[in-house]
Amino acid sequence: MTQMIEAVMVLLVLTNLLLLGTSRLATCIRTVAIQGVALGTLPVLGHAHELSLRLVLLAVGSASLKGVVFPFLLFRAMREADVRHEIEPFVGYTASILIGIGSLAVSVWASSRITLPGPAVSSLVLPAALFTILVGLFVIVSRRKALMQVIGYLAMENGIYAFGVVLVGEIPMLVELGVLLDVFVAVLVMGIAIYHIRREYDHIDVDELDALKG
Amino acid sequence: METRHALWLVLALPAAGAALCPLLRTRDGMLRWALGVVAATAAASAVCIRAVFATGPLRVGGLLHLDSLSAYHLGVMMAVFLLASLYSITYFRHETFTRGGAIRYGGLWLGSLGTMALALLSNNLGLMWVGIEATTLLTALLITVHRSPAALEAMWKYLLTCSVGIAFAFMGTLLVAAAGAKAREALVWTSLRDAAATLDVGTLKLGFLFLLVGYGTKSGLAPMHSWLPDAHSQAPAPVSAIFSGFMLNSALYCILRYVPLVESATGGSGWSHRLLVLFGLLSIVVSAAFITFQNDLKRLLAYSSVEHLGIIALGAGLGGLGAFAALFHTLNHSVCKTLGFFCAGRLGQLHGTQDMRRMGGSLRSSPVWGTGLLAAVLALIGMTPFAIFMSELLIVRAAIDTRSIVSLVVFLAGTGTVFVAALRHAVRMAWGDPVGERPPARATPLDVALVAMPLGVILVLGLWLPGPLARAIEGAAAVIRGGRP
Repeated sequence: MTQMIEAVMVLLVLTNLLLLGTSRLATCIRTVAIQGVALGTLPVLGHAHELSLRLVLLAVGSASLKGVVFPFLLFRAMREADVRHEIEPFVGYTASILIGIGSLAVSVWASSRITLPGPAVSSLVLPAALFTILVGLFVIVSRRKALMQVIGYLAMENGIYAFGVVLVGEIPMLVELGVLLDVFVAVLVMGIAIYHIRREYDHIDVDELDALKG
Repeated sequence: METRHALWLVLALPAAGAALCPLLRTRDGMLRWALGVVAATAAASAVCIRAVFATGPLRVGGLLHLDSLSAYHLGVMMAVFLLASLYSITYFRHETFTRGGAIRYGGLWLGSLGTMALALLSNNLGLMWVGIEATTLLTALLITVHRSPAALEAMWKYLLTCSVGIAFAFMGTLLVAAAGAKAREALVWTSLRDAAATLDVGTLKLGFLFLLVGYGTKSGLAPMHSWLPDAHSQAPAPVSAIFSGFMLNSALYCILRYVPLVESATGGSGWSHRLLVLFGLLSIVVSAAFITFQNDLKRLLAYSSVEHLGIIALGAGLGGLGAFAALFHTLNHSVCKTLGFFCAGRLGQLHGTQDMRRMGGSLRSSPVWGTGLLAAVLALIGMTPFAIFMSELLIVRAAIDTRSIVSLVVFLAGTGTVFVAALRHAVRMAWGDPVGERPPARATPLDVALVAMPLGVILVLGLWLPGPLARAIEGAAAVIRGGRP
């Protein structure tokens, strides 16, 4: 099973780099969805020998939320806002990928410095999780379209999810459901916000939301 | 029924109230319904709070837990919500508000009451996080009850900054859970407290850093406060009042929950205290700078919240008497800031602007709200005989007791700057030359009551601290210090 988990982690790292180098919003939405589905299988892979109904339900719920519901909401927001590409991000795509590789190195270095209590599932999980969190943060600050910021937020959530799996292993069902519900509502509310921003401003470029200062 | 089961009521009443909102027909009916549900929740809370201070913490299973720290915060929250719900009735009388808008407002209002109560009542640190994150999402929609470009901008910044911040807090929560792998239940506060000696110190400290930055973003501590003045200035006044009056405190409360864990795990090294002092002082200095050059009334009040949350963090960080002072300050600031936003909201409606340079002569244009604003600002900058002066004096004493001379100097310099700067604005608004002529606004008995009640509270508390309240604050402070309640 460790092999499967490591495959998921490699997939996570590769999709992160894809996220950094793509301007098409549709590709980014799908990339984050693939991450979400792959990560949804982690709890099942980690506990394959003691599979319970609870684990399976949670995995199915989380994967379908991140793989079906979120892409649906994001694609709808994309259509309503009538944007297809992230044009002229604050940091260009080549530079983004270079920064991505740099932060991958930082994640590997940082994970080697952190000693965590409890058994490690695989030595790849922590660096991959940290890398995903950093990439999500970077996308949030370096992209101009509000929709891209939501995608960055979801990538960051994916990273934290992986982080949680390696750190805690089994989070109580209620907490897990609450967290999923919160992320769901977050995407919903951000979608509503994008819709209204588009109606008021006729664009969703966050750098032009600059009337309030001081 | 045992008293502890009333805890469920505190969560269920707002949720049920929010769910029933679409059945209401009119705007005024909606606002009265919200007030009624808040009042019922307050009654249920009062029963629980009384029981906590009479007989000790209430617990329901591993999920809900009300000790003196959360009971005290619950009391402050219900006071703020009651006042703000009452104020909504008079505020929205002067705004255009469709039925759909009113339903949305009522549902979100009661919903955010429920989620904040969840954060306070849950014994599970994961659920506490769920409550705070849900609060962010619901209140984000409250900012744009009146849709304008500026409100949308404020909402977007708030939503994104706080969501990311709170995601950090979740990482912190996970790290703390990992540190508590040896505890019976790694996410449950009481079991972590009981097993504090077995916690992994390195992981716990790392987790606390994430928690401080994450929840600190939501509680408006500098330098993570960038969303705060925008959100507070653009939201309708009753919403600004609950933002400043309690939402910030609810996030700070979450940080305070972790302080005794870190301190008992590190053997009272004062590591988390020093961090709180650092962020507290930074908030005081940053807000003082922005208040000095501020022209917008609601932004001024918002930066003043950054300052006061900083003072609370500083007090908690000083420890000992400081923890008592910080909690006393929490109550004083919440009541006073609520009054401030009430008056700012109505005066803004009367003058058609929030620009303090154009709000001169507010004492004449509206004797009731003008007086309220003047008193609120004077109280906020620490004038005697209001209660904030007393709690700040206690913080000075705590700083002297612990020989934190640097903290003392920075604190006095920051609050001194705010004193001078805000006093100038207050005087100009109260007695300055009015822009344009307008007849004095008539005040209803409700308006008078809305100014008189909070003003009475901060005035009385400045002169006399009732015994039961002092014991309640002492009990809550004991939780932060890590003693058994």
